[in-house]
Amino acid sequence: MTVAIRKTAPEPLAPKPFNISQAFQTTLENGLRIVIFEDDRLPLISYRLAFFSGDVNDPDDAGGLTSAMAAMLTEGTRNYTSLALAEKIERLGANISVSSSDDFTIVAASALSLYSSDILDLMSEIVFQPTFPEGELDLYKRNTVENLKFQRSQPGFLANEQTARLLYGGHPYAKISPTPEDIEKLSRKALVDFHKQKLLPDNAVFVVVGDVRRDEQVKEIEENFGNWQMGDFEAAKFLEPPMRNELTLTIVDRPGSAQSNIVLANIGLDRNNPDFFPATVMNQVLGAGASSRVFMNLREEKGYTYGAYTKLDAKRLAGDFEATAEVRTSVTGDSLKEFFYELNRIRDEKVSEEELADSKNFLTGVFPIRAETQEGLTNLILSQQLYNLADDYLQTYRDNIDAVTVDEVERVAKKYVTPEKMAIVIVGDAEEILPQVRQYVKNIEIFDTEGKPKDVSEYGANSPGEFAQVAGKWNLLLDFQGQQLPVSLILDQTGDTVSGKLETMLGNGEIANGKIKGKKLSATAAAEMQGKTVEFVISASVDGVSMMGAISTPIVPEPLSFTGTRDEKL
Amino acid sequence: MSETFNLPPLEIDQYTLANGLRVVLNRDAAVPVVAIAVYYDVGSRNEREGRTGFAHLFEHMMFQGSANVKKAEHFQYVMKAGGTMNGTTSSERTNYYETLPSNQLPLGLWLESDRMRSLAVTQENLDNQREAVKEEKRLRYDNQPYGQIFDLINEMIYRNFANSHSTIGSMEHLDDATVEDVQEFFRIYYAPNNAVLVLSGAFEPAEAKQLVETYFGDIPSQPAPPALDVREPKEVAETFKEWEDKLAPFPAFLLGWKIPPRRSPEFYALYLAGKLLYDGESSRLYQKLVKGEESIIQLFGFTDERRGPSSIFVGAIPKPEKDLSKIRETIMKEIQQIAVEGPTADEVQKLHNQLFNDTVRMRQSSQSRAQQIAEFALYDGDPTLINSELEQLLAVTPEQIRYAADQYLNNENRALLDVIPAGIG
Repeated sequence: MTVAIRKTAPEPLAPKPFNISQAFQTTLENGLRIVIFEDDRLPLISYRLAFFSGDVNDPDDAGGLTSAMAAMLTEGTRNYTSLALAEKIERLGANISVSSSDDFTIVAASALSLYSSDILDLMSEIVFQPTFPEGELDLYKRNTVENLKFQRSQPGFLANEQTARLLYGGHPYAKISPTPEDIEKLSRKALVDFHKQKLLPDNAVFVVVGDVRRDEQVKEIEENFGNWQMGDFEAAKFLEPPMRNELTLTIVDRPGSAQSNIVLANIGLDRNNPDFFPATVMNQVLGAGASSRVFMNLREEKGYTYGAYTKLDAKRLAGDFEATAEVRTSVTGDSLKEFFYELNRIRDEKVSEEELADSKNFLTGVFPIRAETQEGLTNLILSQQLYNLADDYLQTYRDNIDAVTVDEVERVAKKYVTPEKMAIVIVGDAEEILPQVRQYVKNIEIFDTEGKPKDVSEYGANSPGEFAQVAGKWNLLLDFQGQQLPVSLILDQTGDTVSGKLETMLGNGEIANGKIKGKKLSATAAAEMQGKTVEFVISASVDGVSMMGAISTPIVPEPLSFTGTRDEKL
Repeated sequence: MSETFNLPPLEIDQYTLANGLRVVLNRDAAVPVVAIAVYYDVGSRNEREGRTGFAHLFEHMMFQGSANVKKAEHFQYVMKAGGTMNGTTSSERTNYYETLPSNQLPLGLWLESDRMRSLAVTQENLDNQREAVKEEKRLRYDNQPYGQIFDLINEMIYRNFANSHSTIGSMEHLDDATVEDVQEFFRIYYAPNNAVLVLSGAFEPAEAKQLVETYFGDIPSQPAPPALDVREPKEVAETFKEWEDKLAPFPAFLLGWKIPPRRSPEFYALYLAGKLLYDGESSRLYQKLVKGEESIIQLFGFTDERRGPSSIFVGAIPKPEKDLSKIRETIMKEIQQIAVEGPTADEVQKLHNQLFNDTVRMRQSSQSRAQQIAEFALYDGDPTLINSELEQLLAVTPEQIRYAADQYLNNENRALLDVIPAGIG
């Protein structure tokens, strides 16, 4: 080979087309939708019986009921004990599992295609004849409670728990896991009733992918699932996720933690939003992969972390955008700075044509790789059904990605990446983290790993050279000739600089020249009082949530002393 | 059952370039994707005392650039082409692989050949990757609960240094390494005659062969690497050790046995015995311990497949307050039962169906085909074994499973590592 050929990356060969044909669809009389994709590459079969009902449909007073029902479907049926069922399935070399997510409950099975009839029999046994044996339910409860406890030692779980709470408020997506109390309350009766109400044919889709014949499959599914009675599935109504107006930081304190798990998040888009394609491309440029901006910056250039990413989690009812990294504790603040830099840059500057093309190439290129295995193909077809995407969604996916423009990327970045209003969650050592992050965010709350709130002012007390944190609303009482006059200070803080408002019964003024030195606050305020501008000079000493000091003004001869506390609720 | 199950053989085309590079082509055009796997015959087993961790350090160096590919450009090229890639190191080999849209085959071959020919082994890259490996060791081994137990038990199982030391190696040894050491390691082990190249997926064979010749044909070969002795006495080196783990939230234990090499009849029999013990919810230990006694949170087991003496493991994380020795007794009793009575007829049927299923599933992805073929080509000199291994596994008799369990899964041949939580809490 000549050296010249080696010098530059070779041109690709002619592209080979990748055509997925559209799946066959039909609906049984009871409303059960059937989707069949004949795939004869290998003698395998994959089934998914999916219900449009998930953890969000747990009754208000019965958290964890859907996931418990899903787990218990395979723990005993009319004809088989839990063990007999496991043996029966595994003796076929097959796999059947049931799981629930926020929006769906899915019975998934895979096997050699020669066992397709046995698998359909077993699936109908599991769906129609579960007995929810007391003994198995007890074991499920004990093991689940252990697992819930264990989860609290995992920083990723703690970060997700807080992020969901902050973003989703009163929407059920806010709860990522049942509580041990929820689990203790589960009863056999509740499972039996819930099973009857929720697993309905007209609220489900049956996806078949594999080396089988369509007509035979329809016939067999009808035999097994045709007598199933339709029901009334009532779509639940949920509160909208709350509007966010400001940047907040929530720390989950894990003293001694070597790493900080950082999440910056805001509400994004649901899976059916027409912005899905431009948002996916935007997210690829920004942080979805190992050649995206966030990774190149925080890992490759700065070396803060093993990986830094952004993701769009687009679910059925709503979704979120998140930027995440696990970084060394000492670079927590620096990592926030770089995240903000990248989150603002994708909004403020158009991406280059080259970056856009690279990202689209990745997304269109990996698409066939995802469809290579039957599991992968089945999951693509299932998503299309679950989210009610267009019939030609899989056929047009790559064209839709290719059609995204630089301007659309800019538009969706401005819409779905909002750094000035994000919820930041950091799981790590709060004492170490606080001094690093205060310059980026003022509104800070701290929780322990059990999810209980802590007093922010308890932190940082023992660090010399630190300055007090005064952001918040202070309710003060001013001593004026023997009378106690209420006065409020509403303060914002960036580093050692303080801004905000002084509110008195006579008038309000903007804080100027606000500074913190150690525990000492000094500031001036000019208030309009009865048509005149009056100057106030404030000096105070801050100790956690209490403050004492004095205000002097030319209109009274002596400084007026005050004491007060911060209203943490602000 | 086995009579009626016919899986067509995979198309295997193997040949060797003039410089000794073994090439295997497995064409399967179902999806327009191509998988490339390059396997170098070097792993931690090739490391000498005082020089551990080199094979793995090298895996990092392979992403640091070569004559025409700059540092970190390798994965950028692959991702921008719509592909995925990685590299891993084991005791047996170091592998590098890409899955790409089929029309990007030339790119993959260009990238792999450039680093085989002209890796940039510089002081700067060495220093930089030494630090990256140290960070990886902190993250994946030192800072993870139970992160070091497999390295520890290998030292208990094997007596021969080639087998017993860890892949991540010693940080002191890495610090001692000079650029010359590393260049020498590259010259000896990263030669075309010490590697296997496998392509699997949608390509035109004639075109692929031409491209392979173009990119790899003139990379010079090297003298064969030094011979290796991985032989072991039958007994394990050490039968019991306690390990205080600062990060472990619960006590745990790990049992390990030394067993014959991969593809030996005994290994196959023990691999199947292992599946009966710990694979799936109907497995014996799951039913006894997770159900039955309800004594454990987590059960795991697997075989570590090597060309020389290999091993099989069973481990458990018990529930709080449970008696660990009683759990081990249950495990040994189940093994004993297999060693006396052998598997049941139902279990044999289960194994056969699982083997069919595993074999078919493995074939679905071009990358998993490429990797399996590469192992047979590198370890056994025969990539067509991918088409006959299923038969060999199906031929294992219940009596062979019984006998192998009796011979190998006993107390004399067993290492027990007890993990004691030693956190501050």
